[in-house]
Amino acid sequence: MQERLTGFKCKRCGRVTYPKHERCLSCRGTEFEEVGLGDECTLLTYTKLYALPEGIEMPPLTLGVVDFGGGVRALGQIISDDPKIGMKLRPVWGKLRKIGEEEMYGFKFEPAEKG
Amino acid sequence: MRDVAIIGCGMTKFGRIEGKNLMDLMVEASLRAIDDAGVGEEDFDSVYVGNMMAGELTHQTAIASALVDRINLIPAAAERVENGPASGASAVKNGFLAVASGASDLVLVAGGEKMTEADTDVITDLVSTMTHPTAEYVHGVTLPAMAALLTRLYMERYGLTERHLAMVAVKNHSNAMKNPYAHIQRPCTVEGAMSSVMIADPLRLYYACPISDGAAAVVLCPLEKAKEFADKPVRIAGFGHASDVQTLHEREDPAVLKSVQLASQRAFEMAKLKPKDIDVVETHDAFEILEIVQSEDAGFFEKGKGHLAVEKGVTALDGELPINPSGGLKARGHPVGATGVAQIVELVWQLRGEAGERQVKGAKRAFACNFGGFGNNTVIHILERVG
Ligand SMILES: [Zn+2]
Repeated sequence: MQERLTGFKCKRCGRVTYPKHERCLSCRGTEFEEVGLGDECTLLTYTKLYALPEGIEMPPLTLGVVDFGGGVRALGQIISDDPKIGMKLRPVWGKLRKIGEEEMYGFKFEPAEKG
Repeated sequence: MRDVAIIGCGMTKFGRIEGKNLMDLMVEASLRAIDDAGVGEEDFDSVYVGNMMAGELTHQTAIASALVDRINLIPAAAERVENGPASGASAVKNGFLAVASGASDLVLVAGGEKMTEADTDVITDLVSTMTHPTAEYVHGVTLPAMAALLTRLYMERYGLTERHLAMVAVKNHSNAMKNPYAHIQRPCTVEGAMSSVMIADPLRLYYACPISDGAAAVVLCPLEKAKEFADKPVRIAGFGHASDVQTLHEREDPAVLKSVQLASQRAFEMAKLKPKDIDVVETHDAFEILEIVQSEDAGFFEKGKGHLAVEKGVTALDGELPINPSGGLKARGHPVGATGVAQIVELVWQLRGEAGERQVKGAKRAFACNFGGFGNNTVIHILERVG
Protein backbone atom coordinates (compact mmCIF):
# COMPACT_ATOMS: atom_id res chain seq x y z
CA MET A 1 0.00 0.00 0.00
CA GLN A 2 1.11 3.50 -0.82
CA GLU A 3 0.66 6.29 1.71
CA ARG A 4 -0.39 8.98 -0.70
CA LEU A 5 -1.10 9.64 -4.34
CA THR A 6 2.15 11.09 -5.61
CA GLY A 7 3.03 13.45 -8.39
CA PHE A 8 6.44 14.50 -9.65
CA LYS A 9 7.62 18.05 -9.14
CA CYS A 10 10.24 19.34 -11.57
CA LYS A 11 13.27 20.62 -9.65
CA ARG A 12 13.95 23.16 -12.38
CA CYS A 13 10.56 24.82 -12.97
CA GLY A 14 8.28 23.46 -10.26
CA ARG A 15 5.69 21.90 -12.56
CA VAL A 16 3.93 18.90 -11.04
CA THR A 17 3.05 16.03 -13.35
CA TYR A 18 1.13 12.82 -12.79
CA PRO A 19 2.06 10.28 -14.07
CA LYS A 20 5.82 10.59 -14.30
CA HIS A 21 7.58 11.78 -17.44
CA GLU A 22 11.35 11.39 -17.75
CA ARG A 23 11.55 14.95 -19.07
CA CYS A 24 9.40 17.75 -17.67
CA LEU A 25 6.37 18.63 -19.81
CA SER A 26 7.10 22.32 -19.34
CA CYS A 27 10.90 22.78 -19.34
CA ARG A 28 12.37 19.34 -20.23
CA GLY A 29 14.10 19.23 -16.85
CA THR A 30 15.10 15.72 -15.78
CA GLU A 31 15.14 15.87 -11.99
CA PHE A 32 12.01 15.51 -9.93
CA GLU A 33 10.96 15.16 -6.32
CA GLU A 34 7.93 13.17 -5.29
CA VAL A 35 5.13 15.27 -3.84
CA GLY A 36 1.68 14.38 -2.51
CA LEU A 37 -1.12 15.52 -4.81
CA GLY A 38 -3.20 16.37 -1.76
CA ASP A 39 -6.23 15.06 0.11
CA GLU A 40 -8.86 17.07 -1.66
CA CYS A 41 -9.87 17.20 -5.30
CA THR A 42 -12.89 18.13 -7.39
CA LEU A 43 -14.71 15.96 -9.94
CA LEU A 44 -14.24 17.46 -13.41
CA THR A 45 -16.04 14.83 -15.52
CA TYR A 46 -17.15 11.21 -15.13
CA THR A 47 -18.74 8.25 -16.85
CA LYS A 48 -20.58 5.17 -15.67
CA LEU A 49 -19.12 2.34 -17.68
CA TYR A 50 -21.49 -0.56 -18.42
CA ALA A 51 -19.34 -2.45 -20.91
CA LEU A 52 -16.67 -3.50 -18.44
CA PRO A 53 -13.07 -4.48 -19.09
CA GLU A 54 -11.76 -7.82 -17.85
CA GLY A 55 -11.34 -8.24 -14.11
CA ILE A 56 -14.10 -5.90 -12.96
CA GLU A 57 -17.24 -7.78 -12.08
CA MET A 58 -20.05 -5.41 -11.25
CA PRO A 59 -21.33 -2.75 -13.63
CA PRO A 60 -21.42 0.12 -13.67
CA LEU A 61 -17.84 1.18 -13.04
CA THR A 62 -17.68 4.90 -12.41
CA LEU A 63 -14.56 6.55 -13.78
CA GLY A 64 -13.74 10.22 -13.49
CA VAL A 65 -11.15 12.91 -13.94
CA VAL A 66 -10.41 14.82 -10.74
CA ASP A 67 -8.75 18.19 -10.38
CA PHE A 68 -6.28 18.98 -7.59
CA GLY A 69 -5.87 22.61 -8.69
CA GLY A 70 -2.92 24.26 -10.38
CA GLY A 71 -3.44 22.20 -13.52
CA VAL A 72 -2.78 18.91 -11.68
CA ARG A 73 -5.36 16.21 -12.37
CA ALA A 74 -5.76 12.46 -12.21
CA LEU A 75 -8.07 9.81 -13.58
CA GLY A 76 -9.52 7.07 -11.44
CA GLN A 77 -12.44 5.06 -10.18
CA ILE A 78 -15.07 7.07 -8.31
CA ILE A 79 -16.71 5.42 -5.32
CA SER A 80 -20.15 7.00 -5.50
CA ASP A 81 -23.53 5.96 -6.88
CA ASP A 82 -24.44 9.56 -7.48
CA PRO A 83 -21.42 11.39 -8.87
CA LYS A 84 -21.79 15.09 -9.61
CA ILE A 85 -19.47 17.43 -11.44
CA GLY A 86 -17.83 19.72 -8.90
CA MET A 87 -18.22 17.34 -5.95
CA LYS A 88 -15.31 17.17 -3.47
CA LEU A 89 -13.43 13.89 -3.41
CA ARG A 90 -10.37 12.40 -1.71
CA PRO A 91 -7.98 9.64 -2.78
CA VAL A 92 -8.25 6.26 -1.05
CA TRP A 93 -6.15 3.13 -1.61
CA GLY A 94 -7.96 0.04 -2.81
CA LYS A 95 -8.28 -2.82 -5.26
CA LEU A 96 -8.81 -1.63 -8.83
CA ARG A 97 -9.29 -4.81 -10.88
CA LYS A 98 -7.81 -8.15 -11.79
CA ILE A 99 -5.64 -8.45 -14.88
CA GLY A 100 -5.15 -12.13 -15.60
CA GLU A 101 -4.64 -13.64 -12.14
CA GLU A 102 -3.06 -10.52 -10.70
CA GLU A 103 -4.99 -8.18 -8.43
CA MET A 104 -4.15 -4.57 -9.17
CA TYR A 105 -4.24 -1.90 -6.45
CA GLY A 106 -4.13 1.86 -6.63
CA PHE A 107 -5.86 5.05 -5.60
CA LYS A 108 -9.56 5.61 -6.17
CA PHE A 109 -11.64 8.58 -5.15
CA GLU A 110 -14.43 8.76 -2.59
CA PRO A 111 -16.62 11.67 -1.45
CA ALA A 112 -14.73 13.91 0.97
CA GLU A 113 -17.77 14.06 3.22
CA LYS A 114 -19.63 10.83 3.54
CA GLY A 115 -23.38 11.39 3.78
CA MET B 1 9.86 18.94 -52.44
CA ARG B 2 7.98 17.58 -55.46
CA ASP B 3 4.20 17.82 -55.81
CA VAL B 4 2.57 14.46 -55.18
CA ALA B 5 -0.53 13.05 -56.87
CA ILE B 6 -2.89 10.21 -56.11
CA ILE B 7 -3.42 8.41 -59.41
CA GLY B 8 -5.39 5.40 -58.28
CA CYS B 9 -7.49 4.16 -55.41
CA GLY B 10 -9.56 1.20 -54.36
CA MET B 11 -11.08 -0.49 -51.35
CA THR B 12 -12.93 -3.61 -50.29
CA LYS B 13 -16.40 -3.63 -48.87
CA PHE B 14 -16.18 -2.90 -45.15
CA GLY B 15 -18.07 -5.04 -42.67
CA ARG B 16 -18.05 -8.58 -41.44
CA ILE B 17 -16.31 -10.16 -44.43
CA GLU B 18 -16.60 -13.94 -44.31
CA GLY B 19 -14.09 -16.16 -46.05
CA LYS B 20 -11.41 -13.52 -46.58
CA ASN B 21 -8.47 -13.08 -44.26
CA LEU B 22 -6.45 -9.90 -43.71
CA MET B 23 -4.07 -10.58 -46.60
CA ASP B 24 -6.95 -11.40 -48.97
CA LEU B 25 -8.49 -8.03 -48.17
CA MET B 26 -5.20 -6.15 -48.55
CA VAL B 27 -4.56 -7.88 -51.88
CA GLU B 28 -8.04 -7.05 -53.17
CA ALA B 29 -7.79 -3.34 -52.27
CA SER B 30 -4.25 -3.06 -53.62
CA LEU B 31 -5.08 -4.66 -56.97
CA ARG B 32 -8.08 -2.37 -57.35
CA ALA B 33 -5.91 0.69 -56.72
CA ILE B 34 -3.18 -0.51 -59.12
CA ASP B 35 -5.82 -1.28 -61.71
CA ASP B 36 -7.52 2.09 -61.21
CA ALA B 37 -4.17 3.83 -61.73
CA GLY B 38 -3.39 1.69 -64.76
CA VAL B 39 0.12 0.93 -63.53
CA GLY B 40 -0.01 -2.87 -63.60
CA GLU B 41 3.09 -3.08 -65.79
CA GLU B 42 5.12 -0.48 -63.88
CA ASP B 43 7.81 -1.02 -61.23
CA PHE B 44 6.86 0.18 -57.74
CA ASP B 45 9.63 1.74 -55.66
CA SER B 46 8.01 1.46 -52.25
CA VAL B 47 5.02 0.05 -50.40
CA TYR B 48 3.64 1.31 -47.08
CA VAL B 49 1.17 -0.86 -45.20
CA GLY B 50 -1.01 0.70 -42.51
CA ASN B 51 -2.06 -1.82 -39.89
CA MET B 52 -2.42 -1.79 -36.13
CA MET B 53 -3.02 -5.32 -34.85
CA ALA B 54 -2.23 -8.04 -37.41
CA GLY B 55 0.08 -9.83 -35.00
CA GLU B 56 -2.41 -9.76 -32.17
CA LEU B 57 -5.64 -10.41 -34.11
CA THR B 58 -4.67 -12.53 -37.10
CA HIS B 59 -1.39 -14.07 -35.97
CA GLN B 60 0.58 -12.73 -38.90
CA THR B 61 3.51 -10.33 -38.70
CA ALA B 62 5.67 -8.54 -41.28
CA ILE B 63 2.60 -8.18 -43.47
CA ALA B 64 4.21 -5.69 -45.88
CA SER B 65 6.61 -8.45 -46.95
CA ALA B 66 3.64 -10.76 -47.38
CA LEU B 67 1.73 -8.24 -49.50
CA VAL B 68 4.54 -7.58 -52.01
CA ASP B 69 4.96 -11.34 -52.31
CA ARG B 70 1.25 -11.99 -52.99
CA ILE B 71 0.93 -9.33 -55.69
CA ASN B 72 4.54 -9.33 -56.91
CA LEU B 73 5.69 -5.83 -56.22
CA ILE B 74 9.13 -7.32 -55.57
CA PRO B 75 11.72 -5.80 -55.09
CA ALA B 76 9.87 -2.64 -53.84
CA ALA B 77 10.93 -1.34 -50.42
CA ALA B 78 8.09 -2.62 -48.25
CA GLU B 79 7.25 -1.79 -44.66
CA ARG B 80 4.35 -1.76 -42.21
CA VAL B 81 3.44 1.51 -40.51
CA GLU B 82 1.83 1.31 -37.07
CA ASN B 83 0.38 4.39 -35.45
CA GLY B 84 -2.64 3.07 -33.59
CA PRO B 85 -5.91 3.85 -35.40
CA ALA B 86 -4.02 6.47 -37.48
CA SER B 87 -1.82 3.76 -39.04
CA GLY B 88 -3.60 4.30 -42.38
CA ALA B 89 -3.01 8.04 -42.60
CA SER B 90 0.53 7.61 -41.31
CA ALA B 91 1.16 5.15 -44.14
CA VAL B 92 -0.22 7.69 -46.65
CA LYS B 93 1.99 10.37 -45.13
CA ASN B 94 5.05 8.14 -45.50
CA GLY B 95 4.13 7.46 -49.11
CA PHE B 96 3.73 11.18 -49.70
CA LEU B 97 7.15 11.92 -48.21
CA ALA B 98 8.78 9.18 -50.26
CA VAL B 99 7.50 10.73 -53.49
CA ALA B 100 7.89 14.37 -52.42
CA SER B 101 11.52 13.81 -51.42
CA GLY B 102 12.39 12.27 -54.77
CA ALA B 103 13.26 8.91 -53.19
CA SER B 104 10.37 7.07 -54.90
CA ASP B 105 8.53 7.56 -58.18
CA LEU B 106 5.75 5.03 -57.74
CA VAL B 107 4.31 4.10 -54.35
CA LEU B 108 1.52 1.83 -53.13
CA VAL B 109 -0.10 2.61 -49.78
CA ALA B 110 -2.46 -0.03 -48.41
CA GLY B 111 -4.25 -0.14 -45.07
CA GLY B 112 -6.21 -3.00 -43.62
CA GLU B 113 -7.48 -4.77 -40.55
CA LYS B 114 -9.36 -8.02 -39.90
CA MET B 115 -11.24 -7.63 -36.63
CA THR B 116 -14.59 -9.41 -36.63
CA GLU B 117 -13.28 -12.90 -35.97
CA ALA B 118 -11.89 -11.88 -32.57
CA ASP B 119 -13.98 -11.58 -29.39
CA THR B 120 -15.27 -8.06 -28.77
CA ASP B 121 -13.69 -8.20 -25.29
CA VAL B 122 -10.30 -8.95 -26.80
CA ILE B 123 -10.60 -6.02 -29.22
CA THR B 124 -11.81 -3.63 -26.54
CA ASP B 125 -8.87 -4.64 -24.35
CA LEU B 126 -6.28 -4.38 -27.14
CA VAL B 127 -7.54 -0.93 -28.09
CA SER B 128 -7.57 0.09 -24.41
CA THR B 129 -3.85 -0.66 -24.22
CA MET B 130 -3.33 2.56 -26.21
CA THR B 131 -4.07 4.42 -22.98
CA HIS B 132 -1.46 5.11 -20.28
CA PRO B 133 -0.61 1.80 -18.56
CA THR B 134 -0.52 2.99 -14.93
CA ALA B 135 -2.51 6.23 -15.00
CA GLU B 136 -5.41 5.03 -17.19
CA TYR B 137 -5.50 1.41 -18.36
CA VAL B 138 -5.12 -0.24 -14.96
CA HIS B 139 -8.09 1.74 -13.60
CA GLY B 140 -10.40 0.11 -16.14
CA VAL B 141 -10.34 2.77 -18.84
CA THR B 142 -11.62 1.79 -22.27
CA LEU B 143 -11.88 3.99 -25.37
CA PRO B 144 -15.67 4.36 -24.92
CA ALA B 145 -14.92 5.56 -21.37
CA MET B 146 -12.51 8.19 -22.72
CA ALA B 147 -15.10 9.35 -25.23
CA ALA B 148 -17.74 9.50 -22.50
CA LEU B 149 -15.51 11.64 -20.26
CA LEU B 150 -14.99 14.06 -23.14
CA THR B 151 -18.70 14.03 -23.98
CA ARG B 152 -19.73 14.97 -20.45
CA LEU B 153 -17.20 17.81 -20.39
CA TYR B 154 -18.76 19.11 -23.59
CA MET B 155 -22.26 18.81 -22.20
CA GLU B 156 -21.28 20.70 -19.07
CA ARG B 157 -19.30 23.41 -20.82
CA TYR B 158 -20.94 23.95 -24.21
CA GLY B 159 -24.52 22.73 -23.87
CA LEU B 160 -24.08 19.70 -26.11
CA THR B 161 -26.94 17.23 -25.61
CA GLU B 162 -27.36 13.57 -26.33
CA ARG B 163 -29.65 14.52 -29.20
CA HIS B 164 -26.70 16.12 -31.01
CA LEU B 165 -24.76 12.85 -30.86
CA ALA B 166 -27.80 11.04 -32.22
CA MET B 167 -28.07 13.58 -35.05
CA VAL B 168 -24.47 12.90 -36.10
CA ALA B 169 -25.22 9.16 -36.07
CA VAL B 170 -28.38 9.63 -38.16
CA LYS B 171 -26.50 11.73 -40.73
CA ASN B 172 -23.66 9.22 -41.02
CA HIS B 173 -26.03 6.25 -41.33
CA SER B 174 -27.92 8.10 -44.02
CA ASN B 175 -24.72 8.85 -45.96
CA ALA B 176 -23.56 5.25 -45.65
CA MET B 177 -26.80 4.03 -47.26
CA LYS B 178 -25.50 5.75 -50.41
CA ASN B 179 -22.09 4.08 -50.09
CA PRO B 180 -21.95 0.48 -51.37
CA TYR B 181 -18.65 -0.05 -49.51
CA ALA B 182 -20.08 0.89 -46.12
CA HIS B 183 -20.45 -1.60 -43.28
CA ILE B 184 -23.78 -0.34 -41.92
CA GLN B 185 -26.48 -0.18 -44.57
CA ARG B 186 -29.55 0.61 -42.54
CA PRO B 187 -31.21 3.87 -41.54
CA CYS B 188 -31.26 5.09 -37.98
CA THR B 189 -33.49 7.64 -36.29
CA VAL B 190 -32.74 10.10 -33.51
CA GLU B 191 -35.19 8.25 -31.25
CA GLY B 192 -33.71 4.88 -32.19
CA ALA B 193 -30.17 6.05 -31.44
CA MET B 194 -31.30 7.61 -28.16
CA SER B 195 -32.88 4.38 -27.00
CA SER B 196 -29.91 2.16 -27.88
CA VAL B 197 -28.07 0.47 -25.02
CA MET B 198 -25.93 2.60 -22.69
CA ILE B 199 -22.27 1.57 -22.87
CA ALA B 200 -20.53 4.41 -21.02
CA ASP B 201 -22.99 6.98 -19.71
CA PRO B 202 -23.73 9.36 -21.49
CA LEU B 203 -22.54 7.32 -24.45
CA ARG B 204 -24.89 4.82 -26.08
CA LEU B 205 -24.05 2.08 -28.56
CA TYR B 206 -25.21 4.19 -31.51
CA TYR B 207 -22.76 6.98 -30.66
CA ALA B 208 -19.87 4.60 -31.36
CA CYS B 209 -18.48 2.87 -34.47
CA PRO B 210 -18.84 -0.86 -35.16
CA ILE B 211 -16.02 -3.41 -35.39
CA SER B 212 -15.22 -4.09 -39.05
CA ASP B 213 -13.00 -5.88 -41.53
CA GLY B 214 -11.70 -4.14 -44.62
CA ALA B 215 -8.84 -2.69 -46.62
CA ALA B 216 -8.19 0.35 -48.79
CA ALA B 217 -5.31 1.41 -51.03
CA VAL B 218 -3.97 4.33 -53.06
CA VAL B 219 -1.20 4.74 -55.65
CA LEU B 220 1.04 7.83 -55.54
CA CYS B 221 3.45 9.35 -58.02
CA PRO B 222 4.97 12.78 -58.75
CA LEU B 223 2.32 15.20 -60.05
CA GLU B 224 4.41 15.89 -63.16
CA LYS B 225 4.09 12.23 -64.15
CA ALA B 226 0.48 11.81 -63.07
CA LYS B 227 -1.06 12.75 -66.40
CA GLU B 228 0.69 9.77 -68.04
CA PHE B 229 -1.56 7.50 -66.00
CA ALA B 230 -4.62 9.33 -64.72
CA ASP B 231 -7.24 11.56 -66.34
CA LYS B 232 -8.16 13.07 -63.00
CA PRO B 233 -5.19 13.05 -60.64
CA VAL B 234 -5.68 14.45 -57.16
CA ARG B 235 -2.88 16.42 -55.54
CA ILE B 236 -1.92 15.98 -51.89
CA ALA B 237 -1.78 19.69 -51.13
CA GLY B 238 -0.61 19.32 -47.55
CA PHE B 239 -0.35 17.18 -44.49
CA GLY B 240 0.03 17.85 -40.79
CA HIS B 241 0.94 15.44 -38.02
CA ALA B 242 1.17 16.29 -34.32
CA SER B 243 1.06 14.61 -30.93
CA ASP B 244 0.00 15.57 -27.40
CA VAL B 245 0.35 14.12 -23.89
CA GLN B 246 -0.99 10.59 -23.61
CA THR B 247 -3.38 10.93 -20.69
CA LEU B 248 -6.61 12.85 -21.11
CA HIS B 249 -6.23 14.45 -17.69
CA GLU B 250 -2.78 15.96 -18.34
CA ARG B 251 -3.82 17.84 -21.47
CA GLU B 252 -3.73 21.59 -21.15
CA ASP B 253 -7.52 21.51 -21.49
CA PRO B 254 -9.05 18.02 -21.61
CA ALA B 255 -11.84 19.37 -23.85
CA VAL B 256 -9.36 20.50 -26.51
CA LEU B 257 -7.73 18.15 -29.00
CA LYS B 258 -4.50 20.09 -29.35
CA SER B 259 -2.95 17.56 -31.73
CA VAL B 260 -5.89 18.14 -34.09
CA GLN B 261 -5.39 21.91 -33.85
CA LEU B 262 -1.67 21.71 -34.53
CA ALA B 263 -1.81 19.10 -37.27
CA SER B 264 -4.61 21.03 -39.01
CA GLN B 265 -2.74 24.33 -38.82
CA ARG B 266 0.36 22.68 -40.29
CA ALA B 267 -1.64 21.09 -43.10
CA PHE B 268 -3.41 24.34 -43.97
CA GLU B 269 -0.10 26.20 -43.89
CA MET B 270 1.54 23.72 -46.23
CA ALA B 271 -1.44 23.76 -48.60
CA LYS B 272 -1.64 27.57 -48.39
CA LEU B 273 -5.36 27.18 -47.71
CA LYS B 274 -7.83 28.09 -44.99
CA PRO B 275 -10.70 26.07 -43.48
CA LYS B 276 -13.18 28.08 -45.57
CA ASP B 277 -11.52 26.75 -48.75
CA ILE B 278 -12.52 23.16 -47.94
CA ASP B 279 -15.58 21.62 -49.63
CA VAL B 280 -15.76 18.17 -48.03
CA VAL B 281 -14.39 16.58 -44.86
CA GLU B 282 -13.82 13.09 -43.48
CA THR B 283 -13.36 12.96 -39.71
CA HIS B 284 -12.39 10.18 -37.31
CA ASP B 285 -15.78 9.62 -35.66
CA ALA B 286 -14.93 6.44 -33.79
CA PHE B 287 -17.34 8.15 -31.38
CA GLU B 288 -19.79 10.79 -32.59
CA ILE B 289 -18.50 13.33 -30.07
CA LEU B 290 -15.18 13.22 -31.96
CA GLU B 291 -16.72 14.41 -35.23
CA ILE B 292 -17.99 17.50 -33.41
CA VAL B 293 -14.77 18.21 -31.48
CA GLN B 294 -12.54 17.61 -34.51
CA SER B 295 -14.67 19.90 -36.69
CA GLU B 296 -14.01 22.68 -34.17
CA ASP B 297 -10.35 22.03 -33.41
CA ALA B 298 -9.57 21.70 -37.14
CA GLY B 299 -10.87 25.24 -37.52
CA PHE B 300 -14.16 24.72 -39.37
CA PHE B 301 -16.35 25.93 -36.48
CA GLU B 302 -15.82 28.03 -33.41
CA LYS B 303 -14.93 26.07 -30.25
CA GLY B 304 -18.10 24.88 -28.55
CA LYS B 305 -20.28 25.52 -31.62
CA GLY B 306 -19.73 22.32 -33.61
CA HIS B 307 -22.94 20.72 -32.34
CA LEU B 308 -24.92 23.76 -33.53
CA ALA B 309 -23.56 23.22 -37.05
CA VAL B 310 -24.88 19.64 -36.89
CA GLU B 311 -28.25 20.94 -35.68
CA LYS B 312 -28.47 23.39 -38.59
CA GLY B 313 -27.59 20.76 -41.18
CA VAL B 314 -24.31 22.49 -42.13
CA THR B 315 -22.48 19.14 -42.06
CA ALA B 316 -25.17 17.20 -43.96
CA LEU B 317 -24.51 15.92 -47.47
CA ASP B 318 -26.32 18.94 -48.94
CA GLY B 319 -25.00 21.39 -46.32
CA GLU B 320 -22.29 24.04 -46.64
CA LEU B 321 -19.59 21.70 -45.31
CA PRO B 322 -20.52 18.03 -45.68
CA ILE B 323 -18.72 15.88 -43.11
CA ASN B 324 -18.29 12.14 -43.59
CA PRO B 325 -20.17 11.66 -46.87
CA SER B 326 -18.85 8.07 -46.76
CA GLY B 327 -20.75 7.39 -43.54
CA GLY B 328 -17.63 7.93 -41.45
CA LEU B 329 -16.22 5.43 -39.00
CA LYS B 330 -19.71 5.20 -37.54
CA ALA B 331 -21.30 3.65 -40.59
CA ARG B 332 -18.66 2.98 -43.27
CA GLY B 333 -16.99 1.05 -40.44
CA HIS B 334 -13.62 1.16 -38.73
CA PRO B 335 -11.16 -1.59 -39.63
CA VAL B 336 -8.54 0.45 -37.80
CA GLY B 337 -5.51 0.21 -40.10
CA ALA B 338 -7.70 0.72 -43.18
CA THR B 339 -9.58 3.79 -41.97
CA GLY B 340 -7.02 6.51 -42.73
CA VAL B 341 -6.53 5.17 -46.26
CA ALA B 342 -10.29 4.71 -46.81
CA GLN B 343 -10.84 8.37 -45.89
CA ILE B 344 -8.41 9.34 -48.66
CA VAL B 345 -10.08 6.95 -51.13
CA GLU B 346 -13.48 8.49 -50.39
CA LEU B 347 -12.14 12.01 -50.86
CA VAL B 348 -10.41 11.11 -54.14
CA TRP B 349 -13.74 9.81 -55.43
CA GLN B 350 -15.41 13.01 -54.24
CA LEU B 351 -12.83 15.21 -55.98
CA ARG B 352 -13.06 13.20 -59.19
CA GLY B 353 -16.85 13.48 -59.10
CA GLU B 354 -17.22 9.70 -58.85
CA ALA B 355 -19.00 9.38 -55.51
CA GLY B 356 -22.38 8.53 -56.98
CA GLU B 357 -25.43 9.33 -54.89
CA ARG B 358 -23.30 10.75 -52.09
CA GLN B 359 -21.37 13.11 -54.37
CA VAL B 360 -20.72 16.55 -52.87
CA LYS B 361 -21.41 18.81 -55.84
CA GLY B 362 -18.40 20.59 -57.26
CA ALA B 363 -16.00 19.47 -54.53
CA LYS B 364 -12.51 20.83 -55.25
CA ARG B 365 -10.70 20.58 -51.94
CA ALA B 366 -10.99 17.99 -49.21
CA PHE B 367 -9.76 17.46 -45.66
CA ALA B 368 -9.17 14.20 -43.76
CA CYS B 369 -8.55 13.71 -40.04
CA ASN B 370 -7.25 10.37 -38.75
CA PHE B 371 -6.64 9.76 -35.06
CA GLY B 372 -4.06 7.56 -33.36
CA GLY B 373 -4.70 7.03 -29.66
CA PHE B 374 -7.45 9.13 -28.13
CA GLY B 375 -6.71 12.56 -29.53
CA ASN B 376 -3.01 12.51 -28.72
CA ASN B 377 -1.76 11.73 -32.22
CA THR B 378 -3.43 13.18 -35.29
CA VAL B 379 -2.65 12.96 -38.99
CA ILE B 380 -4.33 15.43 -41.36
CA HIS B 381 -4.29 15.44 -45.16
CA ILE B 382 -5.60 18.09 -47.52
CA LEU B 383 -6.36 17.02 -51.08
CA GLU B 384 -7.03 19.14 -54.15
CA ARG B 385 -8.49 18.48 -57.57
CA VAL B 386 -5.98 19.18 -60.34
CA GLY B 387 -7.18 21.32 -63.25
ZN1 LIG C 1 10.14 21.69 -15.54
